[in-house]
Amino acid sequence: MKKIRITINGRTVITAEGKTILEAVNENKIDTIPTLCHDERIEPYGSCFLCVVEIEGLNKLVPACSTPVKEGLVIVTNNEKIQSVRKTALELLLSNHYADCIAPCIDNCPAGVDVHEYIALAYAGKFTEAIRLIKETNPFPLSLGRICVRNCEIACRRNSVDEPVAINAVKRWLADEDNNHLWTPDIKKPNHKKIAIIGGGPSGLTCAYYLTLEGYSATIFEKFPELGGMLKYGIPEYRLPKKILDTEIKWMTDLGIDVKTGMELGKDFSIDDLKNKGYKSVFLAVGAHKATSLMLDKEDEVEGIIKGIDFLREKQNNKMPKLKGIVIVVGGGNTAVDCARTSLRWGADKVIIVYRRSIKEMPAHPDEVEAAEKEGVEIQFLTNPVSIIEKGGRLTGVECIKMRLEKADPGKRPRPVPIPDSEFIINCDFLIAAIGQQVNTSFIGKDKDCKLEKWGTIVVDQDTLQTSIPGVFAGGDVVTGPLTAITSIAHGKIAAYCIDEYVRTGIVKKKNEKFLSFKHKLGEISQYEFDHIKKVGKEKMPELPLSKRKNNFEEVELGFSENQLMLETKRCMECGCSEFYDCTLRKLADNFNIDISQYSGETRKYKIDDRHPFIVLDSNKCINCGRCVRTCSEILKVSAIGFLYRGFRTIVKPAMEKALLQTNCISCGNCIDTCPTGAMAEKFPFKPLGQYKKENYESICNFCSIGCRINYKVIRDNYFFVSNSTTSIRNSHNNGYLCVKGRFGHRYLLDGNRIIKPVIRKNGIRKDTGIEEAIDYTAEKVNRIIKQYGPGSIAVFGSPKLSNEELYLLQKFTRVGLKSNNISSFTNLFRDSELNCLDESLGITVSTTTMDDLSGADIILAVNANLTDDNMIMELKIKAAQKKGAAFIYVNSSELNPARFSDLWVDSKKGTNTVLLNGILKEIIENDGLSFGSKIKNFPELKKMVSAYNAEIVSTLTGLPRERYNQLVDMVKNPASNIIFIYNIDSRREKSFNDLKAIGNFLLLTNRINKKHNGIIILRDYSNSTGLLDMGVTPEYLPGYVTFHEIQRIRSIGKEWGVNMEEIFKPVNIAERIIRNQIKAILIFGEDPLAIPDNIKYFDDLDFLMVQDMFNTETAKKADVVLPASAYIGQDGTYTSCDRRVQEATRVFNDKGTLENWRIITNLAKKIGGNFNYDSNLDIFNEIRKINRCYTDVEPNDFWGSDFSGQSTVSQNREAGFAIYDTDIVTYNAGNETILYSENYYRSKIKKKIT
Amino acid sequence: MTEIKVGLATCGISAGGELVFDELEKEIKKHDLQIELKKTGCLGMCYEEVLVEVVQNGSSWLYAQVTPDKAKKIIENHILENHPVDAWILADNGSFRDNSFFDKQKRIVLRNCGVIDPGSIDEYISQGGYKAIQKVLKDYSPDDVIDVITKSGLRGRGGAGFPTGLKWEIANRSKGSKKYIICNADEGDPGAFMDRSVLEGDPHSVLEGMMISGYTIGANEAYIYIRAEYPMAVRTLITALTNCEEKGYLGENIFGSDFSFNIKIKEGAGAFVCGEETALIASIEGKRGSPRIRPPFPARKGLWDYPTNINNVETFANVPWIILNGYEKYASLGTEKSKGTKVFALAGKVVHTGLVEVPMGVTINEIVFNIGGGIKNNKEFKAVQMGGPSGGCIPASMGDLIIDYDEITKTGAIMGSGGMIVLDETTCMVDVAKFFLNFTQNESCGKCTFCRIGTKRMLEILERITAGEGKENDIEQLEDLANKIKISSLCGLGQTAPNPVLTTIKYFREEYEAHIKEKRCPAHSCVALIDYKIDTDKCTGCMLCLKKCPVDAISGKPKEPHTIHSETCIKCGICYDVCKFDAVIIN
Repeated sequence: MKKIRITINGRTVITAEGKTILEAVNENKIDTIPTLCHDERIEPYGSCFLCVVEIEGLNKLVPACSTPVKEGLVIVTNNEKIQSVRKTALELLLSNHYADCIAPCIDNCPAGVDVHEYIALAYAGKFTEAIRLIKETNPFPLSLGRICVRNCEIACRRNSVDEPVAINAVKRWLADEDNNHLWTPDIKKPNHKKIAIIGGGPSGLTCAYYLTLEGYSATIFEKFPELGGMLKYGIPEYRLPKKILDTEIKWMTDLGIDVKTGMELGKDFSIDDLKNKGYKSVFLAVGAHKATSLMLDKEDEVEGIIKGIDFLREKQNNKMPKLKGIVIVVGGGNTAVDCARTSLRWGADKVIIVYRRSIKEMPAHPDEVEAAEKEGVEIQFLTNPVSIIEKGGRLTGVECIKMRLEKADPGKRPRPVPIPDSEFIINCDFLIAAIGQQVNTSFIGKDKDCKLEKWGTIVVDQDTLQTSIPGVFAGGDVVTGPLTAITSIAHGKIAAYCIDEYVRTGIVKKKNEKFLSFKHKLGEISQYEFDHIKKVGKEKMPELPLSKRKNNFEEVELGFSENQLMLETKRCMECGCSEFYDCTLRKLADNFNIDISQYSGETRKYKIDDRHPFIVLDSNKCINCGRCVRTCSEILKVSAIGFLYRGFRTIVKPAMEKALLQTNCISCGNCIDTCPTGAMAEKFPFKPLGQYKKENYESICNFCSIGCRINYKVIRDNYFFVSNSTTSIRNSHNNGYLCVKGRFGHRYLLDGNRIIKPVIRKNGIRKDTGIEEAIDYTAEKVNRIIKQYGPGSIAVFGSPKLSNEELYLLQKFTRVGLKSNNISSFTNLFRDSELNCLDESLGITVSTTTMDDLSGADIILAVNANLTDDNMIMELKIKAAQKKGAAFIYVNSSELNPARFSDLWVDSKKGTNTVLLNGILKEIIENDGLSFGSKIKNFPELKKMVSAYNAEIVSTLTGLPRERYNQLVDMVKNPASNIIFIYNIDSRREKSFNDLKAIGNFLLLTNRINKKHNGIIILRDYSNSTGLLDMGVTPEYLPGYVTFHEIQRIRSIGKEWGVNMEEIFKPVNIAERIIRNQIKAILIFGEDPLAIPDNIKYFDDLDFLMVQDMFNTETAKKADVVLPASAYIGQDGTYTSCDRRVQEATRVFNDKGTLENWRIITNLAKKIGGNFNYDSNLDIFNEIRKINRCYTDVEPNDFWGSDFSGQSTVSQNREAGFAIYDTDIVTYNAGNETILYSENYYRSKIKKKIT
Repeated sequence: MTEIKVGLATCGISAGGELVFDELEKEIKKHDLQIELKKTGCLGMCYEEVLVEVVQNGSSWLYAQVTPDKAKKIIENHILENHPVDAWILADNGSFRDNSFFDKQKRIVLRNCGVIDPGSIDEYISQGGYKAIQKVLKDYSPDDVIDVITKSGLRGRGGAGFPTGLKWEIANRSKGSKKYIICNADEGDPGAFMDRSVLEGDPHSVLEGMMISGYTIGANEAYIYIRAEYPMAVRTLITALTNCEEKGYLGENIFGSDFSFNIKIKEGAGAFVCGEETALIASIEGKRGSPRIRPPFPARKGLWDYPTNINNVETFANVPWIILNGYEKYASLGTEKSKGTKVFALAGKVVHTGLVEVPMGVTINEIVFNIGGGIKNNKEFKAVQMGGPSGGCIPASMGDLIIDYDEITKTGAIMGSGGMIVLDETTCMVDVAKFFLNFTQNESCGKCTFCRIGTKRMLEILERITAGEGKENDIEQLEDLANKIKISSLCGLGQTAPNPVLTTIKYFREEYEAHIKEKRCPAHSCVALIDYKIDTDKCTGCMLCLKKCPVDAISGKPKEPHTIHSETCIKCGICYDVCKFDAVIIN
């Protein structure tokens, strides 16, 4: 490609013609240009206009992603104009992005508690995780779970359906559950920096808690004898039992918070004193404990008049004498209701609340008011006391006046006005004035620098809570006036953050806020969004019966049952976006500091399309970047989705607005990964956790033999989903693309049917047991059977989905430990496959070329391969090769999907492909000189064998029109063309017996075995089918395809293993031995042969059956011993793909506490005999490299036999020659049942739903 | 031999041309006359339709505004009694009694329109048709053609004005095993109908132009991309193509040369954006009509990635004339950088609405006042809107501006494909901007952020301004968005969509400000900002407005002044229109 010179941001760079500006910028690492519509795997498009750059001499900006470079271009990638255009582009996109980044409940919580996520975790039964999450923002779930004002529930979108989710009750349940074994947070190393916190209420305690976690030494100075502030002295026992509160406080202080009670600021010490004593910073959180006066004559003189907050506090301090008679409570707030209900419990015969406005304006929580009324409290609305009636200094009644409400100003409460001449008297014995509290800031006396508002609260910076004194912060009621506990907690958390910043850096700054989009910021939320949601009322909180509430202070609300918890958490509608962390749009909005209200106007609103079982299409979030559309058409060639309509209405939808499944969607979900927002998202089998931190773990897909790179996003232990959107995975050999199995199939690991504990079945009775016990029991059984029947009486089977290490160990265990050659896999045993069909001609039956090589092929010929269903990513690789000019020939009798994108579809009749290939061989032999082929062994026989297959006969037998046959022959006979065959050994739909042999003959005859871009790729159905044979899990081969003839090799392997291998490694027909009852015990690792009921014949007369599996399979149910298996993503290991790529899979998480499989196998082997001392998986791999000649030089993620040459390297002791066979036109007619749990899960739970 | 020709282009038909034709046919049959009745295209004088021309013994009479009754009379008086009906005659022997309409015109593209029968290839041939292609095939190399076209100064008549000779040269030099010619007949500007008239009146001139272009760049296949909303043009084209194929003018080795050429018609669904080259190509390829980034330009990588030359109808129709008459003659017309003629669809508040072809260099005033006959109803000339939704408004104060690509571009408007709408004092300029922006907003393909959402947000601002809810900062926000849309859109649609807004702000800013600050529409046009009242001094109490009011918002007794009740009034303006005494006034 021609080199050209361009200038970017004043730097001259050399690049190549044909590149885009974006590529040139990226490859020279000049700038990071933002983009939304660009995906380097598809053709440039240029629609979002975020990547605009300026070109000298051009008056418009151009999209860097799709503008090609030209000699001499002078480019600027960042200036004010460019930034302004990018910002506007984002603002425009966001003005039509009708979506909630996070659930509104979180946003409406003053403390920002991640409600959505803890509900999801609770629903999943992850209670500890849930409480941990709550305590990240609110350390008071036990208390707040009882008394919170629940702004979250006000914002809950479920209000539009029926009732809000009972969020607080859920939190309480979680906290009560946690109370049994209080979770302890990690604390950073002490930094020995002292911080003073004045006031031990919710705000002060919260601040102390978070500072302690950061390693600070926090000291709380509290005026009252005990900590808790208003929670302790303002909230009555029946709502918040003090035992509960004390537990919570103790849990906090036990972390190392220093507490000094009876210490009053302004009296016992001053802020200056604290500074002098070395406190680095001070947090003032003294609350608002001063009751507001009624301003009535003699209010403070007459006996029987009490201030509300004093009443509650004295009751708590056990200093309040019992009440009697009629008690009047003045006020409409929570304190008034608390006083009324406390009075009822504290001797009053009758309680009347007097409130000057109507019920609508009452600030007390409606639930509290309702409870009070139920308990018998009477409320007189629109009533206000005007004077006190006394007799001898003792209260006897109150004169009240009726009120009316004046029309309110917008946003304000209506003003009450007395109705003249409506005075009346209420007789009473006590009057409790609960009309509000004030801040008492008399302590400021000594600290004059601390500025106050005119109504007495402390002046603070709203963002950082810093007062006018540097380093002194204030929060809670002393700043806000009497407000809510959750606001105080929020302040405590903010103060802790800012104090930490201040102490560490000297600078006070608020925490960066993330950009958040909300539906309600883009106009009305339409009711139709909720039409389809079934109405399910919220769970009722169990309560103490009314009859039991009088004269005692027992807690009224009793808390949900676990069942109620599950029902209630299920009601959560999962607002908020599952793509919160992966959303490029949100990230850019953050970077550009976007104001969402910049362009307000019409917003397009759509119903979320969740008709697909696994893919949710939320068009509200779509920004029309077209990445999904282009991926679907360009890469997949499926075109299930496209653009509809024009102008502002343009939107991505499935064709004709049909459901995705009604289009030709193949459910691969690659649209999800490419989507830069959450418009294309996965429908999870659990409640999605949007804001919850997830970790990326790249590994290998464990389904088919392509060995795709895959990224698991792990939420918590064994709780994950697949998301291939990381940059590194996009650069992998599969470009990050996955098929439906890879994307959604791994869900089977979340299936509830997992085996966690070993099981021993004796006399028909199942018993859970320990792993050691189970292994001992198995070893004992095996040893006894060997003793009785000899080593040939045991057989071992391994799954083609086990790692190379596991498989190697299994065969070594069999051969060395059991001294038997009865090693195989049921998958191969049942499938009479052509596992050695190429041995004769190529010396070994493996792929002779790689998938990477496809890009250089001229002709790709797929025979007996249902690519779409079995190995879809191979299909993508073929499509990519086609783009580069390769012709694709598909041989299959029926029009499967690959036929549709093939360049030539050869629809020969089933079972006649050997005939077809014979015909081609004949044509080549007759028409070419073949100086190479004619010298190979069996050439005359080959010539003779194919001589009869002239075009006419081939055409007649295959049913292929002559013209098409000739076309085929023309295409493949050119010796200069690079030809790659693709053949699936495991697939049996189109097979005739000797197809593979014929292909081998073709490759040998035309010298295409060792030639680059030529050869055969042998596909397999399972991830390590290739590794299984490589490792010698077959009676035919020792590791490295060592056959019975290779005596030297056998001896040397035996020597390495310390056994006489010649005696052990002998031909055996395992299937026959089982049928003849010569096998007495079977040990199965990872297979479920009894998934096919007919196979019971193999198990009829067994003395012992051991199964290791992840799931309680049909076979496991029959086994005498069941060992739990670790999931492949719970352990390390290598897997060998169909084209000999040895890839490392890395452990993603600790799997349910089970042992890694290699440990279980070695532990078992050690009990039976042989050298099985390994410290790690790597130890085993190193031994494989020593024993297995194919793997000697292989590095992980490399191909073994990278210098592959069929005859020479592998089978030196054999001479290759053409395979001679009887050509048959009988079709294989075997079913393709599978005996792997994963595959059966895929078929029954995934595939069934999408077809 | 007597011939009668009826103007039956779309304008003629909508004026009742088919009824006139039927009446004439009936009369001819009735009187058993030896008259050949013919259909012809549009002469351009759409305001005079239905036009009927009687050709007799070498003389001709052109009748205007013919109705079936008048047609009957023409047969009776003119044909049977040999007394032409003088009062209805517009022109005798081709000379117009009032020639002001044609005086300033120069008809090259429209040379045959309204003159010949578009359904007859022989009539086209009789006017020198298909001589140019034969001349080219015989005497010219492709480079010779490029030379002639380049020297003629012909620029693309689709709107952007790219030099045609250069475009052909690039396509000629591009390498490709195959090349294509595309005729863009996706005329989509509201109010523009130049291409339709040419296709309906003289299709062969376009086909001949395409053949010449094909020969020049080395293309053997061509498409005419035409909107399905032009059924008559499609029919005329199909007939023309069939006739050509029958005569061997299309197909293998045409006119005995070794040049082969085939033309196919592709009907589009009338998406405005498909007038954009790359979107048009996508549409022919069967994809969604969305533009893609250029380069590569279609001349290098076009239809199915082969080099493709795209010109519009008018451009192609010029080509045979230039070949036959020589580039010098063509280049002698017009200004230094804009040569030849330009066809305009003259519409709006002008007396003579219709199709005009003027040499480049005439002034706007000449078109409006000389050719157009001035403003209707003696109102004041306010502005012309040129270039449709991509264009802009040029104020009356700039009436002396000449028709020239570059001069017009300087104003903020564009030459465009030739829509020219004359606006008078009753037109609200904010409303005009809103109208065109609404059009582009709906017609955007929806690909680029700025075009899809930016124009929508601009439209919403204009909507609130005209609704009397404009905000302080609205003009600035409009300008900011407009400038960003212009520099950040992939295709011409988006890049020019803000032009109507920008030019109206540029020349009529005070009108925007009146809407926003004073909540007043100076043109008395924005419904939300006006009130209808009755001038009691003028009202005679005739009851007409009262009877016509659709919502009974007017009360009053006969011969007493009426009252309009503003709370019921829906401001439809019917009272204003029907009042004979100017007693209804707009506040």
